[in-house]
Amino acid sequence: MGFVDYVQAIIDGLLFGTTYSLIGIGFTLVFGVMQKINMSYAAGSLAGAYCGLVGPQLMGLPPWSVFPLSIAASGVIGYLIYLTCFRFIPLASPLATLMSTVGMLLLLDEIIVHSTAGMPQNYPAIYDGDPIEIGDFMLRADLVGVFLVCVVAMAVLLALLYRTRLGMATRAVAQQPVAAQLCGMRLQAVNGLTFVIAGLLGGVAGAMIGASVGMLSPLIAGPITVKGLIVTVIGGLGSIPGAIVAGLMVGAAENLFQALRNVTERDIYVMLLLFVFLVVRPGGLFSGRGHD
Amino acid sequence: MDFYYSLAQIIGFHTLLGLSAYIVLQTGQVSLAQAGFFAIGAYVAGMLTVLAGWHLVPAMLVAGLGAALMACLVGFPALRVRGLMLVIATLAFGEAVRLFFFNFDYQIAKGEVKIGPLGGEGFRQIRWFPENGWTSLEVMLFVWTVVALVAGALWWNDRSRFGAVLRAVGEDEVAAQSVGINLTAVKVTAMTIGGFIAGLGGAIYAHYTTHIEHLNFNVLLATFAIAYPILGGLRSVFGTIVAAIFVQGFLVEGLRFLGDWRNLLFGALIVLAMNLRPHGLIDAATARRLARLFSREQWRGEQRRA
Repeated sequence: MGFVDYVQAIIDGLLFGTTYSLIGIGFTLVFGVMQKINMSYAAGSLAGAYCGLVGPQLMGLPPWSVFPLSIAASGVIGYLIYLTCFRFIPLASPLATLMSTVGMLLLLDEIIVHSTAGMPQNYPAIYDGDPIEIGDFMLRADLVGVFLVCVVAMAVLLALLYRTRLGMATRAVAQQPVAAQLCGMRLQAVNGLTFVIAGLLGGVAGAMIGASVGMLSPLIAGPITVKGLIVTVIGGLGSIPGAIVAGLMVGAAENLFQALRNVTERDIYVMLLLFVFLVVRPGGLFSGRGHD
Repeated sequence: MDFYYSLAQIIGFHTLLGLSAYIVLQTGQVSLAQAGFFAIGAYVAGMLTVLAGWHLVPAMLVAGLGAALMACLVGFPALRVRGLMLVIATLAFGEAVRLFFFNFDYQIAKGEVKIGPLGGEGFRQIRWFPENGWTSLEVMLFVWTVVALVAGALWWNDRSRFGAVLRAVGEDEVAAQSVGINLTAVKVTAMTIGGFIAGLGGAIYAHYTTHIEHLNFNVLLATFAIAYPILGGLRSVFGTIVAAIFVQGFLVEGLRFLGDWRNLLFGALIVLAMNLRPHGLIDAATARRLARLFSREQWRGEQRRA
């Protein structure tokens, strides 16, 4: 393995890292408005991607329909998670929502295993084309597709948050829930909507993970959850730019470790990366706060 | 009858796992690393009895101390962050331990066969109990003696000065700090004790199943660890024991006739339980009501005051 291979590994990792960024943003969004971690988020996103497969496999729709269906299903699952794990549990008990979302994570995992009999399901690629060659390096066409879709999703999210009234309401609730309520915003409605938006983003991420790996398997949920959370911590809880940068970083680091060592060991080093950040910058890349 | 002895052993090491999370939760820290300490205990004890030919009891103690040392080392960087960040850090640590054992090969030849941990294949032939002719009744009694010792120590600790310090940190860190409690020392100590208990539990687990592999120590096990004290409530060690008996005895074994649907039910039940009883099945109010039921003395006292 020469220098070129390592740079190539980093490029592939950066392209795939956008999916981690999306998952990280989803965790961070929910944390921003509710100060809670939704542990079932990544599992919900993958469950959405699985639901998308119903279109082509059972209803005879064209293969591309899998993507919009995945995204829509993930949004619905996001709202269901809000209803079952957050809506009726008092905000003052952080342990309760943690446990309920972990319970939901196990439930979603089991539903997936149950309905697919544990078999991996093929997932269509976003774009089948020849790799684009730039000098010594090449860009895998499917990963470029994944990258572009994820960047568009992030741009839409940022526009939604910073250019619309809904986004302003979300940010207001994140900053001062009580003051936002005094101004006439309905806390429950905004919280619920945040879960839907995070769910839609997760659907994009889940679909793109399926598209770049080529299949979905229940085994993906665990690592994606852990990596999404690592991205959230490295980026700083509640920070969207942090999540984007950290996602790219984790994607690149993971692929580089895979090239340097091997696929079974790479995740150990990603976890170590997290511990390095906990020691050096416990508040994350862009956030000044080092707690809750 | 052997089935029930075996079930009691399972409940035994799950109780130890729950108790290890219990003491950490008392300081208000949620640790998903307990499955990792459990794994360290399992592998260390297994290697000591199988490869080095030790007696189980010293092997267990060393396994516990090894897990405790690891917990102490992890405690310092991880406890720089609080609350949800700690949950994530410990989750990542637990997964890192699992992946470490996934990649861990250390085999020596013993006669014809090679024994020892072998990566994804796992670690077979941890047969100390059958080799030394223990019956399942004896194993069960041994397991529950350990559980009783640990639970007794924690029960006593709850009534000691150190127990009060732990709960003070758990209730309000700022207030605890302002009366001169060293937060880091208390949290790392709790984490270390928790690591020791989890290591003991792991050692027993390895010798119960005789075959361990990295997949045994996944996020589900870490969830079980914190689920017992949270479901049972943090007021008393008995809550954790009752929760372990309820989950392992009733939900896991008792509902076996449901087949695959049992696993679906498990996640759904956690969600439901948290919606109905967000402070645990035995929360402060219930504990008070139960105490009133069981001690007429106190009940009379309250009557007099009223």
